[in-house]
Amino acid sequence: MPIDPQLNVDEVIITTMARQLSGEMLVSSVTAFGSLAAHLAKRRYAPDLAVLSTPESGMDVTPMPTLTLGQFLTDVQQGIPLTMEDIFDAIFTDHFRIWINPSQIDQYGNTNITCIGDWYRPKVALVGARGIPEDTSHLSETFYYILNHSPRAVVARVDFKSGAGNGDSRRGLGPHGAPSVLVTDLGVFDFTGPDGTMAVRSLHPGVSIEEVQDRTGFPVHVPAGEISATDPPSPDDIRIIRDADPLEVRKLELMSGPEAAEKFVAIYERERQALHATYPRVGKLGR
Amino acid sequence: MDKRMSIDEVVDRIPSGGLIAIGGSSISRKPMALVRALARSDKRDLRIIVDVGGPDVDLLLGTGRVAEVIYAFVGFEVLGLAPHFRRARQTQAVQFQEWTEYTVMAGLDAAIKRVPFMPTHATLGTDVLRVNAAFKEIRDPFTEQPIVAVPALKPDVALIHVNYADIQGNGVILGDGHVDVLCAKAAKDTYMSCERLLSSEELQRFGRDVQILRVYSRGVVEAPWGAHPTGCAPDYRTDVRHLQDYLRASSSEEGWRQYETEFVTVDHRQYLENHGGAEELVSRLKV
Repeated sequence: MPIDPQLNVDEVIITTMARQLSGEMLVSSVTAFGSLAAHLAKRRYAPDLAVLSTPESGMDVTPMPTLTLGQFLTDVQQGIPLTMEDIFDAIFTDHFRIWINPSQIDQYGNTNITCIGDWYRPKVALVGARGIPEDTSHLSETFYYILNHSPRAVVARVDFKSGAGNGDSRRGLGPHGAPSVLVTDLGVFDFTGPDGTMAVRSLHPGVSIEEVQDRTGFPVHVPAGEISATDPPSPDDIRIIRDADPLEVRKLELMSGPEAAEKFVAIYERERQALHATYPRVGKLGR
Repeated sequence: MDKRMSIDEVVDRIPSGGLIAIGGSSISRKPMALVRALARSDKRDLRIIVDVGGPDVDLLLGTGRVAEVIYAFVGFEVLGLAPHFRRARQTQAVQFQEWTEYTVMAGLDAAIKRVPFMPTHATLGTDVLRVNAAFKEIRDPFTEQPIVAVPALKPDVALIHVNYADIQGNGVILGDGHVDVLCAKAAKDTYMSCERLLSSEELQRFGRDVQILRVYSRGVVEAPWGAHPTGCAPDYRTDVRHLQDYLRASSSEEGWRQYETEFVTVDHRQYLENHGGAEELVSRLKV
């Protein structure tokens, strides 16, 4: 059975992601889910977080997911501008957190955004490792999310290790960068199984362990005892998410085909208006 | 010194086979007017360095200018995968080196500091280290622990686009800086296009936003909308509609020929005319 129909899966995932964040950390906003999780966490669970408006800049802003306006958000809110050096220094010194959305994650928490098939002759070339090797060699907590838990995404072994998981991948690395948590549309998983393999931590309301096994490319470790249910979002959590994402960019990440294309265009046409309605122009050009 | 030159004069100074670093980040502030001129030139076998690549690398691959790409990422972000990059990777049409976001920065920094390599733990435990023959796993001479040596990246030329510049070659960047400063400092010759030329007195008022220092720049071109179709915060946002047309055009040979005729083989003035002129662009893209 899929997730309880009374709940919105995007709000369950974002709230669950938010509840993992803690401390005084820079939190990157690469995706709508990641930025909304950071925002909700700061409002409700981890007030010292320093939320960014883009992957590299605009510290201490209120994120508003859009397709193209991240840097404009920095500008209109006069977010503290950071550099790429600031970002990687924060990664290396473990003052940074990010929710990574990999194409594949395996039982050891290795992650792939580079290619499907062999790197030298890929079936599908994806985007390249980007900054994931830096995260998986330095951060004391690494967070992953996948919106469509399937045997193609949650696999026995990734086709290419863009990010280092547990097991052999830890050679020469030590504990920093090891996988901490995976949140999917089915539940929350950690890496406390045998040899640091994936284990069930909680299932979202309405999800069965059979469905998890069916939709996973390997047998997931199930700890002894009763499996707990993920705490659903509270009315406050839901209100904060909806208020922060008036264009519903988060829904886009769950859609595909013509429905997604239509939503995409609608968001693009409305995003400037939504930005100006929320923030009067006080940026560098307006000064 | 007056360093003003035309777009074509910049291209004349780029050697075939040269190592070219391109600033910007995926769909943000790419020097697209310069890149388009390079794409329609007869230059061959270019070796391209991008930290986070997008339409820049993709266009140069689509027009057959490239022998090798050094990249951490190539993609169109929310719009999807880069079509010519993907095809070239899958058909092994040109050489590729997969780096990571920090290691590209480290390679440029090594060139700037005139040292042969930079050490990092990033890429240990990943397949990037396996497939990237440029990296060497070495022993830390003090502790004997494994560490990765990232070789210096020494571009012949850097191409960047900024908001404002003066005729001496100082440049103001108002949005995210990406890796432009590293590119400008590491390259033998840096050429910069800008939205608008300002007097040196006007430029100095921008204080720390003057990020490109004239001692590093060889030439400066005034090219309004010079980053289009990528965005140039806070002047204009990414032209998502144009990029969608680009993606559609790339899916057939005929579509691509048509795209080239309309948007690549024309000069920058005609390129803007083919978008309905500056006024039309303002109404769609000013934020």
